[in-house]
Amino acid sequence: MTLSVVALVATVAVGIGTYAMRSSFIHALADRDLPPAVREALRYVAPSVMAALVVSLGFGGSAGVGWAEIAALSVGGVVGWRTRSLPLVLVAGMATLWALRAAL
Amino acid sequence: MPIHTDVRRGIRDVIPVLVPVVPFALVLGLAIAESPLPNLVGWLGSSLIFGGSAQLTVVTLSAEGAGLAAVVAAGLVVQTRHFMYSAAFAPVFAGQPSWFRWLGPYFLIDQQFALTSLRVDDPPDSFRRYYLTVGLAFWVVWQATVALGLVVGPVVPGEWSLDFAVPLLFVGLLTAAIDSRPALVAAVAAGAVTWATLGVPNRLGIVLGAFAGIAAGVGASRR
Repeated sequence: MTLSVVALVATVAVGIGTYAMRSSFIHALADRDLPPAVREALRYVAPSVMAALVVSLGFGGSAGVGWAEIAALSVGGVVGWRTRSLPLVLVAGMATLWALRAAL
Repeated sequence: MPIHTDVRRGIRDVIPVLVPVVPFALVLGLAIAESPLPNLVGWLGSSLIFGGSAQLTVVTLSAEGAGLAAVVAAGLVVQTRHFMYSAAFAPVFAGQPSWFRWLGPYFLIDQQFALTSLRVDDPPDSFRRYYLTVGLAFWVVWQATVALGLVVGPVVPGEWSLDFAVPLLFVGLLTAAIDSRPALVAAVAAGAVTWATLGVPNRLGIVLGAFAGIAAGVGASRR
């Protein structure tokens, strides 16, 4: 198979698989009541996945992790906790990163 | 026709989420343009998969000559966290019409889940309008920006590190999702386990960390 055919078939397959994952439980459980214990567990999906994404995206890349990145994410966390404003989190975090990189 | 409040809120909320996505989409477009694959084949993933990391995985691995099974497996593993979004939204979608239960999951990317999970207590009509506004806005900008990246390449200088805005964005969404002490325990546990499993390939540590976080949250809520 040529590279293009592999890429095209893989794209279609991963696309179908992704939709299947995203719709799986929505369709399987749509008309059923979930047990209270499961509902309770599902409440912690959002904070858990967000924290996992922060660590994986922030520190799992090929680029080295320095104190500037850790400080920027911490500043973003404090600003988000105090203000609940995404634009402020982005501005404060990026400003911290740029300032520390310029200073260090 | 006046713009509905839910639509307005959706647009207002999605704009800060879109900002860090633009450099990512441009880089993805550039990666496709620089790969030996035809641009159209690479770009199709933007709509067929609608998930940047899986699309990038498929483009990179198939350009390197990996076998079909390996490319598909790696692409799907990257996406496994979507099972959790689907499970978390099952009770929310249960009160929605059937057409929305079919269409909605297509838009269920990380940012979509993070933003709309803050609105699950809204009335079903209101939630649906908000969800579709955020999803469509994201979808249109994503398709257009990946295409732009194909054509113009990197317009943003690398030393700005705008890609760092992506984890930063999730920090902001994380603080919004921590609404109780068990939720905080869940986040800390998930972050720690993801950190400990950073060496696991295909970002599978996200799934391991998430499961640890959910377990810790349930444990903390039972105290």
